[in-house]
Amino acid sequence: MNSTLTFRALFALFFVIFLATWFGMVVFPWLELGHLPPIQDEGSTDILPWDAPGLAHQGEQIYAADGCAYCHTQQVRPSTSGADIIRGWGTAKDESGDEKAPAITRRTYPRDYIWQGQVFLGNSREGADLSNVAERFPDAAGLYRYLYDPYILNGHSSMPEYRFLFVTQKISGQPSQDALILTPEDAPPAGYEVVPTPAAKSLVAYLLSLKKGYHLKPDEAGIPYVPPTPTKT
Amino acid sequence: MATLFPTKVAPRGFVSTDPELAAVDASVRWPVLICLLSAVHWMVVGTFLLVYASSLTHPQDSLPILGWFIDLSANFSMFTYGRVYPAGMDALVYGWCSTAGLGLAVWLLARMSRAPACAPGALMTAVIFWNLGVAVGLTGIFLGDSTSAELLEFPTYASWILWFAYAIFALWAVATYLGRRPGYDHIAQTWILVGLFAFPWLYGAGSTLITSHPLPGSGVIQAVIDAWYVHGIYTLWLAPIGLGTLYYLIPKISSLPIRFGTKAQIAFWTWIIFAPWTAVHDLVGGPFPAETVTVGLIMSGLIFIPVAIIGMNLVSTSFAAEEQQGHHGGIVFPFLVLASVLFVAAGISEQLLSIRSVNELLRFTMFRECNTLLWVYGFFSYVVFGSIYYIVPRLLDFGWRSALLIKIHYYTSVYGILLVLAMLGFGGVMQGNTLENSDPHVTIVTATGVIVSFHIAATMCISLIAIGNGIFAFHLGWMLIDWLRLRVRGNRLASEILVEPYEGDFAKPASEEVVA
Repeated sequence: MNSTLTFRALFALFFVIFLATWFGMVVFPWLELGHLPPIQDEGSTDILPWDAPGLAHQGEQIYAADGCAYCHTQQVRPSTSGADIIRGWGTAKDESGDEKAPAITRRTYPRDYIWQGQVFLGNSREGADLSNVAERFPDAAGLYRYLYDPYILNGHSSMPEYRFLFVTQKISGQPSQDALILTPEDAPPAGYEVVPTPAAKSLVAYLLSLKKGYHLKPDEAGIPYVPPTPTKT
Repeated sequence: MATLFPTKVAPRGFVSTDPELAAVDASVRWPVLICLLSAVHWMVVGTFLLVYASSLTHPQDSLPILGWFIDLSANFSMFTYGRVYPAGMDALVYGWCSTAGLGLAVWLLARMSRAPACAPGALMTAVIFWNLGVAVGLTGIFLGDSTSAELLEFPTYASWILWFAYAIFALWAVATYLGRRPGYDHIAQTWILVGLFAFPWLYGAGSTLITSHPLPGSGVIQAVIDAWYVHGIYTLWLAPIGLGTLYYLIPKISSLPIRFGTKAQIAFWTWIIFAPWTAVHDLVGGPFPAETVTVGLIMSGLIFIPVAIIGMNLVSTSFAAEEQQGHHGGIVFPFLVLASVLFVAAGISEQLLSIRSVNELLRFTMFRECNTLLWVYGFFSYVVFGSIYYIVPRLLDFGWRSALLIKIHYYTSVYGILLVLAMLGFGGVMQGNTLENSDPHVTIVTATGVIVSFHIAATMCISLIAIGNGIFAFHLGWMLIDWLRLRVRGNRLASEILVEPYEGDFAKPASEEVVA
């Protein structure tokens, strides 16, 4: 059991082994996917993927600070790997302008994430996948209500209530435009209203930016391409 | 069943009969003691945070105290699940495991070098800064500076403090290793050194590339780096320190040589080549290069080679010792045996995740948390418990106060940890079967309904662990206070202790720590 290696030889071996692992696991993916440029959509002036508004980028920080990523993923695996497509997490309305185009159901590709300052792919599905959450909650009012009281939609939900993202204030004059419409149990006393804080507004702007309603062509995906699943009619 | 624990513990007489080792123990007494004490403090903090976080995962429960917790989490951003859970895990990984790991590394390196440690003052400074870094990092998470990258949540300002503290440790370790007395090279030394070498690489690269200077436009590469980091912490930092301790203590306490000891070198090198690739378990099916995932699954699948050899080395040596001596022997051995068994269990769990279809089923479920707890609570915590029961009496030359408290600690944490692993593992399979169901009518609502009872069970088990850990911390505090009283009041108390009749209830002395 006696080691015959000298200190220098030992460290040289550690170094070489770690370097090999580091290269295979971090440097190689980075060379492959670290510099994906956006692409010009054919037939329109769109740049794909769409960039989110500035408020949404602020919302990323709220998403990080309050740890949404510990229960929610933002990645859709292909139909060959898991049932994400069957759960409907990869489905989004085609927003290329054609009203009659069928919904797009596809996995997520590295290029989908290039605008995000920080990516939250997540490792736990305590809650639903959020890659296309804007598709299921198309307006801010619904998201505000859900963040305020998640149990209105799912009685078993393990999602905490995010009431600290809202303030209850006295109505002076006209009620605020973005005051929450709440169930009788949650409603504030008469003469008061619940309104979102700036943090809640940026978080919701971020969530509303999460949708992948565009096609990427095989050579634009960055990794092996899986054709979109045909939408059932 | 043979008695697992003696009914009495030796009050004194722990100083090694080898004068060299006694001098080494005396030279590192304060740095190691402060490391272990602050680690136990963070263990209590982290466990409490995990109990709180876990109780938030079943908000429909009707226990009054839970209602109070849930109101707190709803109305104050500091107490929301997404801040408390990462803070709890970080307190355990950086506060408990890493601080204790540094203490163990210092003690083991000094002992195996057989030369009194140089510069204990520098080590003390390092420990204090390390604890400061953890405290600042946790505060940052609670105040909303968390980065949400798993195990790298600490904001940049905390990382710098940890980094500075670690640099002192590393320089000390290299100096101590180079100044070792020749002729005492031990496989445990190699394990400790690789851990100390891996940590700065991991933490430096991880915290720089994700927290302070994220690669511009890197996109999904951040997730790759984080996966590499998280599994690196388990397999290249916690596992080497823990295994080094086991390779040193098990033969020492049982006075048997390591069985199949000639294969220990093979286990070491295959482990550091294959084990870091377990990182790809977090990448299967995601938007990542397929080559990396495929190669990674093959490499991480091969960890059965080191896991089997290490299991043969450690588990079979401990079982042989048990057979030879009629019982496990003393208060330290039961913890170390369990640590070696749980290391094999953690290896098997990683092995399962390296099978692609199993990984697809369990990837996003509670099973992943089970795997995490298996490393942090299961394997590493038991190494540290056993080591603290062994080391602290030798540093102070003062015995544990109560065999009963050790027994209670052992059984509460054994049942707590085994049950929480069973609940999270089985719950993970149930959750996976729901999430990956091919029936399109099954939704996330169905899945949350399936796992709610497993969450309740997990909260109960973690509370049991918390009780055990609390007893352990209380016992350590009691021992220290008595020891301080002895130091302050001097010989009067010492003579009281020495004239107290002491008879062990065992026929022949089984191990060093129960020999008076």
